[in-house]
Amino acid sequence: MTIMRQNEVIIRVAGAAGDGVQSAGEILVRTFARSGLYATSYNYYQDIIRGGESWYQVRASDVKVKNQGDGLDILVALNQDGVERHTNPDINEGGASPLGKDGIAIFDNSIKGYTKRDTNYCPMPLADIAAKYSKNTLLKNTVGLGAAIAASGIDFNIFADVIRDQFGKKGDIAELNVKAAKEGYDYFLANYKPLGKKFKFGKKKYMISGGMAVALGAVAGGLKMYVAYPMTPASSALHFLAQHAKKYGVFVKIPEDEISAINTVIGANYAGVRAMTGSSGGGFALMTEAVGLSGMTEVPLVIYEAQRPGPSTGLPTKTEQGDLNQVLGASQGDFPRIVFAPGDIEEAFYLTREAMNIAEKYQTPVFIMSDLYLAEHYDTIDSFDLNFTIDHGLRAKDNEQDYKRYLITETGISPRAIPGQPGNMHNEDSDEHNEYGDVVSDAVTNPQDRIRMMQKRMRKMDTYIEEMKPTPTYHIEDAEYVIIQWGSTKGAVEEAVDILRSKGIKIGAIEVKNVFPLNPDIGTLLKNKKKIIAVENNYSGQLSKYISAQFLVKPDLITKYDGEAFYPNALADEIEVRIGKKKEVIRE
Amino acid sequence: MNMNDYKNKRVPPDWCPGCGNFAQLSAITMALAELKIDPKDVVVASGIGCSSNMPEFLNTYGFHGLHGRLVPFAAGVKWANSKLTVIAYGGDGDGFFEGTQHFYHTAKRNVDITYMVSDNQVFGLTTGQASPTAPIGLRTKTTPDGNIETPFNPIAFALNAGATFVARAFSGDVKHLKDITVRAIKHKGFSFIDVISPCVTWNKENSYEYFRPRVYHLENNDVTNFDQAYKLAFEWGDHIPIGVFYEVERPTYEDLDEVLKDGPLVEQKVHTLTEEDLEEFA
Ligand SMILES: Cc1ncc(C[n+]2csc(CCOP(=O)(O)OP(=O)(O)O)c2C)c(N)n1
Ligand code: SF4
Ligand SMILES: [Mg+2]
Repeated sequence: MTIMRQNEVIIRVAGAAGDGVQSAGEILVRTFARSGLYATSYNYYQDIIRGGESWYQVRASDVKVKNQGDGLDILVALNQDGVERHTNPDINEGGASPLGKDGIAIFDNSIKGYTKRDTNYCPMPLADIAAKYSKNTLLKNTVGLGAAIAASGIDFNIFADVIRDQFGKKGDIAELNVKAAKEGYDYFLANYKPLGKKFKFGKKKYMISGGMAVALGAVAGGLKMYVAYPMTPASSALHFLAQHAKKYGVFVKIPEDEISAINTVIGANYAGVRAMTGSSGGGFALMTEAVGLSGMTEVPLVIYEAQRPGPSTGLPTKTEQGDLNQVLGASQGDFPRIVFAPGDIEEAFYLTREAMNIAEKYQTPVFIMSDLYLAEHYDTIDSFDLNFTIDHGLRAKDNEQDYKRYLITETGISPRAIPGQPGNMHNEDSDEHNEYGDVVSDAVTNPQDRIRMMQKRMRKMDTYIEEMKPTPTYHIEDAEYVIIQWGSTKGAVEEAVDILRSKGIKIGAIEVKNVFPLNPDIGTLLKNKKKIIAVENNYSGQLSKYISAQFLVKPDLITKYDGEAFYPNALADEIEVRIGKKKEVIRE
Repeated sequence: MNMNDYKNKRVPPDWCPGCGNFAQLSAITMALAELKIDPKDVVVASGIGCSSNMPEFLNTYGFHGLHGRLVPFAAGVKWANSKLTVIAYGGDGDGFFEGTQHFYHTAKRNVDITYMVSDNQVFGLTTGQASPTAPIGLRTKTTPDGNIETPFNPIAFALNAGATFVARAFSGDVKHLKDITVRAIKHKGFSFIDVISPCVTWNKENSYEYFRPRVYHLENNDVTNFDQAYKLAFEWGDHIPIGVFYEVERPTYEDLDEVLKDGPLVEQKVHTLTEEDLEEFA
């Protein structure tokens, strides 16, 4: 069952890769954002530059939209295949439902044979209108978007301004596009009926992707250096930072490989500059050894790990949460590490910013784990709270008497000295060392020093656990059933909870934002529930296993590993089955 | 300041008596003293190997990191704070096996650091396996019938990569080694020194006695002549040139980068994000 709301519209632009599907989708998100609506999006594409099937879905409303949604109101199909795939009720594109009854399908009138189904087929002279203005065939997208804007009841002038900005200095081309779009807009209104949506337009929103939010959060947290080797889906952050290097004073560099990247940023952090690296699972695997180097030498380090489906090269342009085991297990031995998993764009910003302080305070590696879905989709926000204080943690004073870099303390945190600081010269060592940093691994092996150093380092985790904020929850107070969720599944899970609650099912969810260490309060939150269900975008339920081991619970598991994100209605159906309120849903 | 001010008084070197690394320790500390560089402004970064224990014995800032990864670490330090004197010091296994790509690309970028390799033609720390510079026929634990692999040519490699200072020295000639080290540190850009450094424990064939009569000082060579340097790089065997092969001026990566050229990153102000910055997302 798909609930269609009057104050919500879902538009899908479908075509072949290279048809300009993505930029068309982004124009829509921006138009909604400027109109004062919330919007979110989903980019379905394949790992080929040209030719493969591709579509971009935008969902907008006057209330916050939590995910791309599984309904569809308006289809803009750029080719015959697009019309067929997205209006044929027998095809279910990666879980996204086809256009149903009352839905509007906009396509070029050269595509024939679509009249019979229970859909409002709206063929239009997209190509003919476009041809009046330009030889560039991509212009027909703009005509189609103009029609979609008319169908959803959005102010054309806002849309026109977005197009003008898109083309920037190319003023003439911009005006051609605006004129073509207006013809598409007018043609639709003259020949077809709009959907009759009713929105309460609010203040204009900002449109930002998860990767950008991570990058911006890092900048807000004092980032001065980003060194990374490109790998989808971590590259959106890299590109954003490279384009803003001068503006934000961030040195950005692609080195020869990921091993170089991580060792370079460890060098920079050691020298007192906030530096960060990022990659996806394959590139991160190469960084593994250096994660422990940061742990052992107690050099602060922030790593952005944006997941995509493995194993190996896997599905490079799809989404999954399959790297948790890898991140938790990266590098030999025990050392403190902290892992954050933001659930949405806002958390991506705030958690990355916080990670910059936490890494320096605890002098240890801190991870931001994201995935393709979160990293690459655009979302809207009202604003970010920009109030933040950079805290460099415990630093040594100049010329300390008998300076000990690894001073044994109750918190486990020792005072850092930075090269260039007078008097505190010392060595930081990947071999086991004593309080001075002098090596105790070979000639002067001293078990007591080893034991004290291990305990000192690991004590930092206890200190950190004490400062952890409570685990975020959603309708947990009276819940009989509870869902465990981490990362980008947040929106789909919360919406599934809404759907089930509207049916009278007392269900809630917890968001595991701190995937390591786990917040001890999770144990309490999971007590006395009829059923615990973990929802994960991976095969084996990596977080679920780990929560089971720590809190001695046995969650039921709903997984998805087809490379696509969860859809809220399909997820709600599955949850209903698991809690025994519904018979198994047959889905092809 | 004298050379002893650059040594860690708590930790004496743990190398075998007679090991070539002692000469490098002397040369580095003498060079720093001669150049009057404050120990607080020096970072010595190393990898893993006997040679890489170097920073433990120094009273500068030091970092004893991962096998083969000292060069990117050192570049990170330099990019963070270009005021520091950064010396990367490691073994031939470290630098010419695991770290080859880092060596190449950092030299190509002309990052202003000094990279000194203790080249003993074996893996010392792991008890004597053949290293990339092991000569043909060298018998080691892993080549009991003699090495059959063509040795790596560090000088030619550094020249190919685009290093702007390329030199060879010999642990058996400390004064010359020190002079080369002084020049390398003073050189603005990527400086590479391959130091023939006998391992008295695991490489009995390539000893001080073997090298002493064979090495000769490069004199009157035109250090700006790449072709001549490249030709000299292949001279080996009975006559082994030591000294500066090549030295030219070229802008460093730090000079050219649009952010780094504004001064040491560590001293540059952190950008405070404002509402105005968010406007680009509207
Ligand atoms: C990633 C990794 N691989 C292997 C080792 C084991 N290891 C330590 S030192 C070394 C070789 C040392 O040879 P070299 O770099 O020539 O230094 P030397 O001891 O000769 O000065 C090896 C293989 C290691 N520490 N790390
Ligand atoms: S084993 Fe060889 S290289 Fe290592 S300390 Fe002894 S002599 Fe030096
Ligand atoms: Mg060696």
